[in-house]
Amino acid sequence: MDADTAPTQLPIAAPSPVQDEQPPANALPLHIALSALAGLVATIVWAVTGGGYYWAAWVWLGLAVPVAVHAIIRFGLSQPASARHGLALHSMVTGMVCGILLIVWGFTTDGVRGFWPLWPLLVLGVAVAVHALVIYADRLPGREREAQLAERVGELTRTRRGALDVQAAELRRIERDLHDGAQARLVALSLLLGRTEERLSDRPEEAELVRRAREEASAAIGELRDLARGIAPPVLADRGLAAAVEALGPRAATPGTLEAQKHTARPLPVVETAAYFVVAEGLTNVAKHAAGAAAVVRLGEQDGRLMIEIADEGPGGADVDGSGLTGLRHRVEALDGTLTILSVEGSGTTIYAELPCGR
Amino acid sequence: MRAVIVEDLALLREGIVALLREHDVDVVAQAEDADGLLRIVAGHKPDLAVVDVRLPPTFTDEGLRAAIEARRRQPGLNILILSQYVEPIYTAELLESGEGGVGYLLKERVGEVRSFMDAVQRVASGGTALDREVVSELVRQRTGGAGDDALASLTPREREVLELMAEGRTNAAIARHMVVTPGAVEKHVTNIFGKLDLPATNDDHRRVLAVLTFLRSA
Repeated sequence: MDADTAPTQLPIAAPSPVQDEQPPANALPLHIALSALAGLVATIVWAVTGGGYYWAAWVWLGLAVPVAVHAIIRFGLSQPASARHGLALHSMVTGMVCGILLIVWGFTTDGVRGFWPLWPLLVLGVAVAVHALVIYADRLPGREREAQLAERVGELTRTRRGALDVQAAELRRIERDLHDGAQARLVALSLLLGRTEERLSDRPEEAELVRRAREEASAAIGELRDLARGIAPPVLADRGLAAAVEALGPRAATPGTLEAQKHTARPLPVVETAAYFVVAEGLTNVAKHAAGAAAVVRLGEQDGRLMIEIADEGPGGADVDGSGLTGLRHRVEALDGTLTILSVEGSGTTIYAELPCGR
Repeated sequence: MRAVIVEDLALLREGIVALLREHDVDVVAQAEDADGLLRIVAGHKPDLAVVDVRLPPTFTDEGLRAAIEARRRQPGLNILILSQYVEPIYTAELLESGEGGVGYLLKERVGEVRSFMDAVQRVASGGTALDREVVSELVRQRTGGAGDDALASLTPREREVLELMAEGRTNAAIARHMVVTPGAVEKHVTNIFGKLDLPATNDDHRRVLAVLTFLRSA
């Protein structure tokens, strides 16, 4: 066994911590060679002394056991600790002990005492089986399916969020392109037509045609503006959710109050846009079904979740499966949020929405 | 009149410059972004800054912010904001940003040459020019919901006068627009101020503020 450690000892200086962590040089082949030599010497001595009972077999066994232990130790140190590696070591030690038992039984058996290693072998085997079962429990047929599903859900959540982010970015790009492209050109066109119209002041009929052309251009600009606003209102990108909801007040035509908690940071654009449309649709519903009733919009954040509440004091009894509310629900659920509608006849309607901020 | 233009899209910038020059406005400098605005305002001390609300690098509302900053550095600077969309809250921020003329118009109004140049003149001389979209939005807010008794009590004619007042027009301009006598407009205005319980004033800017304050108070 000295052969194991001796070569690794450096004769000079005290070993530094770095050296301590280095794996010992592989002394196993040397160990095997020396053991084999000793075994041969024993066998030769046995032969020279006249044969008879082959006692050298015990020498071989005595030499083989340290070699096996040495090999197992080397294997144990060769990899970082892990459940699987532990099981492999356990199996090897068990295998070695079983091997010794069987060999000893084989050397000593005279057919009288029966197969005595049966019980120890059984106990050791069961121990390895239990160990394996504990480690690979998740590979059992039922469990395996569960693990696969969990993995798939995680993957889908990631990719869906990614797709929504891409979609939101894409919509904002389209909005930007509309602004810098078509809208800007139409404004330039309208400007040129206006200047032309001015120069035609002595020719009223032509001036009238030009004026109508300019009005068409203005109408096109107006339509593009509404389109862009439907994608995401500019004030939302500029100033955030609370400001956009506040700006919504006039358009929603509802006398509402806004209670917004100051946010430390803005949610992801895709979340912000969804939240905006929840409030917009909610206030539109209030204006439609609870005209004149007081409404309150509350915005807050709790544990990384954006909380939205739109409450009115209208007649209640809203159709919670209406197309508007269903559309909102899909929008919110796509972001792993929840939308709850509470509408009891005679006591108003409240929409609660919760969205992960996703920061 | 000496004006500076800040607009990032060259096509539009050149069009507006040409239009202003045709109407004897001296365009002394042009810029493409917020820093440029601050630089040319400091360098040229113009009577009027015409500014696009959306400028590089973020293309949100830096034009508005920069214009307000420029006015902080040069009190009394007249500002005309051009935008693809109108937001009443931006109007309020502009009006509250200090002394000086304030304009907030949709970009396509540049095609309505005469009324656009009227607005330019009005703002350059310290007056107000708000887009009719802003005003009608505010009026809609006050009348579309619970219904406001005071606004509801206005006659359609008075409502029209109120909207024109909020845009920043003078009585004379309102009279021209509605094709009535200035005396008739004055009567409407007196009625409106009475019904809405607004402080009567002849200062056009303060008159606009009073009207807007009324319209914005929910």
